Amino acid sequence: MTGTRSRRFATAGGVTLVLLITVALAAPLLAPYDPSARVGTPFASPSGAHPLGTNDIGQDLLTTLIFGARISLLVGIVAALAATLVGTSIGVVAGYARGWVDAAVMRLVDVVLALPVLPLTIVIGVFLGPGLSTQILVIASVIWAGTARELRAQVLSVREHDHIQALWAMGGRAGHVLPRHVLPAVAPLVVPQFVLATKTAILLEASLAFLGLGDITAKSWGTMLSLAQARSAFLTDAWLWWVVPPGVAIAVTVLSFALLAYAFEERARPSLADRFGGSPGTADLRSAVPGEPPTSGGDPLVIDELTVAYRDAVAVDRMRLRVAPAELVALVGQSGSGKSTVAAASTGLLPAAARITGGRVLVCGQDVAALGPEQLRSLRGDRVGLIPQEAMSALDPVRTIGDQIAEAVTAHRRMGRAAVRARVGELLSVVSLHPDRARDYPHQLSGGMRQRVVIAIALAAGPELLIADEPTSGLDVLVQAEVLDLLDGLRRRLRLAILVVSHDLPVVERIADRIAVMHAGQLVEIGPAGRIRAEPDHPYTRRLVEATPRLRLPEAASR
Amino acid sequence: MTPVLALRGLSVTFRGAGGRVPALVDVDLEVAAGEMVGLVGGSGAGKSTVARAIAGLERPDSGTIALDGADLATLSRRQQRDRRRQLHLVFQDPYTALPPAMRVRRIVAEPLVIHGLAERDRRVHDALAAVHLPPERYLSRYPHQLSGGERQRVAFARALVTEPRLVLADEPTQMLDASLRAELVDLMEELRSGRGVAVLHITHDLALAQRSCDRLVVLRGGRVVEQGPTHAVLARPAHPYTRALIDAARRLHHTA
Repeated sequence: MTGTRSRRFATAGGVTLVLLITVALAAPLLAPYDPSARVGTPFASPSGAHPLGTNDIGQDLLTTLIFGARISLLVGIVAALAATLVGTSIGVVAGYARGWVDAAVMRLVDVVLALPVLPLTIVIGVFLGPGLSTQILVIASVIWAGTARELRAQVLSVREHDHIQALWAMGGRAGHVLPRHVLPAVAPLVVPQFVLATKTAILLEASLAFLGLGDITAKSWGTMLSLAQARSAFLTDAWLWWVVPPGVAIAVTVLSFALLAYAFEERARPSLADRFGGSPGTADLRSAVPGEPPTSGGDPLVIDELTVAYRDAVAVDRMRLRVAPAELVALVGQSGSGKSTVAAASTGLLPAAARITGGRVLVCGQDVAALGPEQLRSLRGDRVGLIPQEAMSALDPVRTIGDQIAEAVTAHRRMGRAAVRARVGELLSVVSLHPDRARDYPHQLSGGMRQRVVIAIALAAGPELLIADEPTSGLDVLVQAEVLDLLDGLRRRLRLAILVVSHDLPVVERIADRIAVMHAGQLVEIGPAGRIRAEPDHPYTRRLVEATPRLRLPEAASR
Repeated sequence: MTPVLALRGLSVTFRGAGGRVPALVDVDLEVAAGEMVGLVGGSGAGKSTVARAIAGLERPDSGTIALDGADLATLSRRQQRDRRRQLHLVFQDPYTALPPAMRVRRIVAEPLVIHGLAERDRRVHDALAAVHLPPERYLSRYPHQLSGGERQRVAFARALVTEPRLVLADEPTQMLDASLRAELVDLMEELRSGRGVAVLHITHDLALAQRSCDRLVVLRGGRVVEQGPTHAVLARPAHPYTRALIDAARRLHHTA
């Protein structure tokens, strides 16, 4: 997977680079001749004494190539170092300070980024005269802007993090927050930025040198190319040995830096690999598993002895559950109890790291695990509706809700325009929204209305089963009640089978027919909602019921 | 007695692409020493903005924020910082409020470093013990090695380490599993009665507020629509919005 791929990239890039740097450092030992000495006849063909032949004045080309690595890498790395240093400081300061500082700096960055790099470097190069320090200065001054922009964006997002806000709330000043919190947070990004900058710097150096702006006494690979062109090497056969090796050297160096940068960037991205590292607990509750008979009949959702594992950790252990038409079953448990994994398995949306190691899930009679991607897709839209957790992120902010519902309608069947519009209006009224709302954008709706839209999308193809994963988390009480009442009404009106996954027992117990309680991957209790609340069997359920604060109102409150 | 916190006519306006949006309008609110006040309301009511303004994360347009009787706006920067040591903000989401790459020891010690206070080890130990996390077991853990409930306790330990007189708790139970919520509210209650820390508990959960708060302040659309002793507000809500909140809570909690 990506992890091993990025490691392979890193190894390939790293090994090549180490090799190149070793060659550069050990050039005097490795090179067969003195780079400035005339050791052969001009334009000599490759031979035992001169594996790449000689140039127009009889200098050994292999020696020039080996010494060229020193200059190319030196200029590349020093320029990139300077650019990264400048770019990082400017980006971090701009992102942290915001306001006019940010505005001023970013306009400058825009200008630098908008300037055509090569002509600019040539102009500055000509102005300052050729030489190594000119090259470094010129290259650094055109590539810092990209780093600055990248880092600024990162800092802007980091400074909105709660833990940074918490520091300000504690009275922390920039002198404390920047070095101790912001810089470490963006540091992982600086490394790939530096490596990428080095890659660009080496390419630019080659271009500058080729255009004659290099230091003629310190020949880089670019200078070799430039000389080959200037000294009419192309008129003889010698060009092959003069031009191809430095060209390949540049390509290989740039490629290895690019591979390395890619690997670093992958690593800097937060990984979810550890999320399910913890084992979901011991088997102490196993004896209490009540389960249900696997007799299915025509139930839209039948979960039969389902076992799901993340690597070695069992997330769901021999789960049994059935949802009948027009029935609303609530699956309750704490985070990490495996309830969301059950929901994901029921829709074929398990994360890549998870595998079904036993049992099966039948949705409308079809074994989910046995379906191909195409069949799964059609099952999901057609027979099963999904209601995701966060209504805001489930909707596209730049399209009207009518558009988004229409997309769900037409995803599974062809329809005329008028029919689609009618269906969208119908769906909106099913979730108690006015059909005129179709023209609104998500931000024009309240949280509860957005959740209604998401439900309308889930209903678009007329499913038999709805699976709602924490449909009310993040909504306030008024809206929670509204959304749950809607779900309750839907299953009655449309005879939908509904599975609601929630960590909030009191929220679901009012509308659920049955409640299934999960703990540490196992079903510990299932039964009618009233019974679970009034006389829970299992000690865990009892704890769950008792720990829940309930509103106790004196009589006067019922107005 | 001077209240620990007094807001007088506090107004905050958000300026965004869509123009100016009033977030808080003329909010009056007091928290007495050792008192727990519940600030309740639906999402978007401005509850968090109140806390952020008090903590200095939002700039008020008008009105005063007084800590122990001293109007923050009249103090020098240095004095403001010293005053702010007396209050601490606990955030809603324990998964984002703690710096991910630091161990609990450093996280809890952070306010001490910021305010240059000594005896760090002893204070950090005390604070962790106060939230019932045995220091020897937790000091060298990282946030990702803690459960949501434990993280929120660490956040409270960090809040307590400078021995503040006021803790602003912004929906601290929102992201926790239902069974852990009551536990955390009990902890807040304990901190209040045991250490005399005043708490402004921001929540939309009336059942939680009822469990712990002396007084309720109901916020809607950035305005205070009702305030009074918890039992009085719940028994005889004067404002229709308060009644709607109670109604919804009752429906949700299946309470007859």
